[in-house]
Amino acid sequence: MTFDSLVFLAFFTVFYLLYWFPFNNNLKLQNLFLLFASYLFYSLGDWQCLFYLIGLSAANYYLGIYISRSQKVTVRKALFITGLVIDIGGLAFFKYFNFFVTSSDSLLHAIGLNPDLHTLNILIPVGISFYTFRVISYLIDLQQERIAVCKDLVIFFAYVSFFPSLLSGPIDRAKNFIPQLERPRAFDYNRFVNALRQILWGFFKKAVFANHLAIVTKDIFGNYQHYTASALLFGALCYAIQLYADFSGYTDIAIGVAQLLGFDIARNFNYPFFAQNIAEYWRKWHMSLTSWLTDYLFTPLNIAFRDYGKWGIILAVIINFTIVGLWHGANWTYVLFGFLHGCYFIPIILKGRLYKRKKIEKKRLIPSVRELANMTGTFLLVALTLVIFRAETISAAFSYLRGLVSISIFAAPNYAVWPTAGFLSLFLLIEWTGKDNEYPIQSLGLKWPTWCRWSLYMVMVTLIYYYSVSGPTEQFIYVQF
Amino acid sequence: MERTEILNQVNDVFKEVLDNDDIALQDETQASDIAEWDSLSHIQLVVEIEKHFRIRFTSKEIQSWKNVGEMIGTIQSRL
Repeated sequence: MTFDSLVFLAFFTVFYLLYWFPFNNNLKLQNLFLLFASYLFYSLGDWQCLFYLIGLSAANYYLGIYISRSQKVTVRKALFITGLVIDIGGLAFFKYFNFFVTSSDSLLHAIGLNPDLHTLNILIPVGISFYTFRVISYLIDLQQERIAVCKDLVIFFAYVSFFPSLLSGPIDRAKNFIPQLERPRAFDYNRFVNALRQILWGFFKKAVFANHLAIVTKDIFGNYQHYTASALLFGALCYAIQLYADFSGYTDIAIGVAQLLGFDIARNFNYPFFAQNIAEYWRKWHMSLTSWLTDYLFTPLNIAFRDYGKWGIILAVIINFTIVGLWHGANWTYVLFGFLHGCYFIPIILKGRLYKRKKIEKKRLIPSVRELANMTGTFLLVALTLVIFRAETISAAFSYLRGLVSISIFAAPNYAVWPTAGFLSLFLLIEWTGKDNEYPIQSLGLKWPTWCRWSLYMVMVTLIYYYSVSGPTEQFIYVQF
Repeated sequence: MERTEILNQVNDVFKEVLDNDDIALQDETQASDIAEWDSLSHIQLVVEIEKHFRIRFTSKEIQSWKNVGEMIGTIQSRL
């Protein structure tokens, strides 16, 4: 079940009324109801994998209890490693087993062996990458005594399976989320209105921008042999915006739905396409994943390699970003995508600029020429690398990229770019003017007359409806990860 | 070395690494109080502090400090 379905609308309406009315007087019952609803939400799309979700939650819950009770360091460590093996082993089996088998098979064939390895017919649990990272962070934080053990089974299970962020994140940490489950939640009208506004913006991005751009990118990427380099460049730019509108749209809806239930979940985006270099881009893109990997992978690596100076940082960054790529799925395209992003950090690290941030001043409407050049350069680099991310295979990606290296890059695109280019410009303009807010329309129209603001909302709702019924709807891209 | 002197020297390292002359550290200062101080810059700060005082922190120490005061405490225990 995804947010843009009528089934979800019906499910959430019934759930919401029950959540705030009969169950709001009893925190334990409300949490139990939230857990039940999360499992229902999950099982309506993937009931077989519900057992894995419950099993993983149970394993981590009980390991957490035993870790906290154990007095001996060696026992704590053994329990902690058992937990990591279960969590990472499960993720590796479901998501990467067949990739490992096919890659090993190709490698062994290449050196003249014929091992006859077989892949398995594995059903990958939806959202596994997201909820596995939640439980891993819980165990690490517990082992390092950054958080207290969660003794309430319902609260822990509800943390792992919280339905607004279950399928595509954001990846919330136990430290921020479990305390919110432990205290009573009060209905707040202003929060309610803000949540609805963010949900509206999320649906608008998805239905109006992402779904429209999906048609363009399907056409250009599917028939790239027939297009000029300039049209291919346009396709790459469209895909970058499509992916952002799609994923950040999903995240806005998730954050809004969580707020409606009285929860503040992690922010995932901070206007990444206005970043001035690749390091800043990754501080603004899929922030809950990058901060997770920064804390649990990059920082330990960086500490371990700190005697090697800048080259130690480079090695840690490249390993980190290769894992970022691999996290998306079992395909060499993702590995190459991540590895390249790691390599893009090299000049920044060598120049000693990794830690020095250039911020565009708040409230400034016009960027300087230098800022604009930096933003454009970063965006182009990101968009061209996303060609690899989108492709089925590395050779397909390079065929597309080779098509870009042509004199026809200076020719007029043989694709009707102008309607979509206008669309893209409008999107970027809304983002730019709203960049000082958590989401662009957060404060838009708050000082206008009520009828004026409501007219804007009604136009947005109408456009969402129009694009949803008139064009093809695409599944949220990040649900597959 | 006096605790105040250590704090002053650590403050200079922070200013240099984070390229921010407005930094004025206190024992209670946390990473969330300084915009440029994140988990990325934290390691760079550690490296420079280790070099400056000619000491070596453990990995656990580096990841466990909750504020500047705790970091100063560890430095003081090594000098």
